[in-house]
Amino acid sequence: MQRGYWIRSKPIYGSLVWQSPAAAHLVIAAGEGGIAVLKLFQQMYPREPIQVLYAGQPKTGRDYAEILGSTVPEGLQICNSEAELLETLKTQLGNYHMGTQFYVAGPEAFLWQVMKSLGQVGVQDADVHKELAGTLARPVYCVHCKTITEAVHHNIFSCSHCGRKLFVRDHFSRRLGAYMGLMVDAEQPGNIPKIEEVYP
Amino acid sequence: MTTLNVRVAAVEQVTELVKHFTLVQQNGQPLPRFSGGSHVVVSMNINGRNHRNPYSLMGSPDNTESYHISVRRQEQSRGGSVYMHDQVTVGSELQITYPVNLFAISKLAHKHILVAGGIGITPFMSQIADLNRLGQHYELHYAYRSPEHGAFVEQLREMCGDRLHCYVESEGQRMSFQQLLSQQPLGTHVYTCGPDAMVKTLLLTARDMGWPESHLHSEQFSAPPIGDAFVISLAQSGIDLEVPGDMSMLEAMEEAGLEPPFLCRGGACGRCELEVLACDGALMHNDHYLSDAEKTAGNKIMPCVSRASCQKLVLNI
Repeated sequence: MQRGYWIRSKPIYGSLVWQSPAAAHLVIAAGEGGIAVLKLFQQMYPREPIQVLYAGQPKTGRDYAEILGSTVPEGLQICNSEAELLETLKTQLGNYHMGTQFYVAGPEAFLWQVMKSLGQVGVQDADVHKELAGTLARPVYCVHCKTITEAVHHNIFSCSHCGRKLFVRDHFSRRLGAYMGLMVDAEQPGNIPKIEEVYP
Repeated sequence: MTTLNVRVAAVEQVTELVKHFTLVQQNGQPLPRFSGGSHVVVSMNINGRNHRNPYSLMGSPDNTESYHISVRRQEQSRGGSVYMHDQVTVGSELQITYPVNLFAISKLAHKHILVAGGIGITPFMSQIADLNRLGQHYELHYAYRSPEHGAFVEQLREMCGDRLHCYVESEGQRMSFQQLLSQQPLGTHVYTCGPDAMVKTLLLTARDMGWPESHLHSEQFSAPPIGDAFVISLAQSGIDLEVPGDMSMLEAMEEAGLEPPFLCRGGACGRCELEVLACDGALMHNDHYLSDAEKTAGNKIMPCVSRASCQKLVLNI
């Protein structure tokens, strides 16, 4: 990124803060997103009903299920995986009405998987408060073979499907929940710039 | 600005105060297509002065043979609606702008709640044609003063069936916004058009219930209110103009032969926004476009409906 220049599609994430007014609050988090939820509960609790859906990621990061269990006063539901959380979310969304405030925290791929589920019931991107937590790893969409490679840490990586060396751009698709990756050595095969870890 | 030359093909007295005009192109060609919620600006030459008023298109967007507008007679105004009622008859020729839509239905919505008050029903009539065509889930809540003021109720019942809910004030029927907006499924959008107090109350109620801004839609066209005369100084053109009490700044500039940008002329779209460089009095904002913070900051103004209570207002144009 250069000074004075940015890609408009690159999402900017904030920190979760209870929103008022509201009819109800639904907090959805995975992995390190647990910290964002714990930070929420260090603020004054809202009066309206609260529900928290959390999936730990024991493999990649810390699992905050236990601490959340002793902190969250009501409505905590622990899921064993992100997939299970997304299933649970889908079955429960019908219980919510207009006026619900949505909060999502976790790795970027997770944020946008949740957005996909919320979008299916008409909740829009701008209506949801999001906090990126734990890792800057990017889901990247290969513009050549249309495959999404999860958790990319480097500026240049090999596509998980076609093997092309892809350069990770800041262009982001909200529909796909992924950044754009395009072949870095298409014009001069084998001429690959220095590969660095930029998304730890 | 490109205009369409139209002829009045029919005039219908809908209620005591509302007339419905059918407009066709003078050259017999089909009219441009539009989307539900669009409006046109009608030019009127009243006593040598050019008036331009925005009116919603209420016909079906499928119909390109004719446009349909309805005008409520406003006695306490600058004469545009009275001119339409008293001077415009079958065969009258008018100039209108191409349709512009500031009140489109959201394609992301899963349910639409339409709330109309009085003549505010007009933009919904073309929106409903779109909603019917798209098979969308909607309900229309229509409030009016008394049974004889309920314009287009029969036509709406045909279009909407049991999705139409009428509230007749003289019969003590009142809409409860709180009730209307509670327990609505996620993905519901609300749209409102009507008297200022109704629109403001509905939007406030929705915000108080936690509805996000992106799900709230409203349209209000203001007429430029009458006020005191003042002088505008146009910094780029280097001219000073007197704005009479019954003229807007935009009209005063047009009268002087200038062509400042405009679109809706009702304080809704923001196209005519001008930068205020200096003002030796107070700005009187009458638009629905600037945020409260922008109005307080006082460095922008909508010359179509706003005025100033001052000797001299310097504008960057």
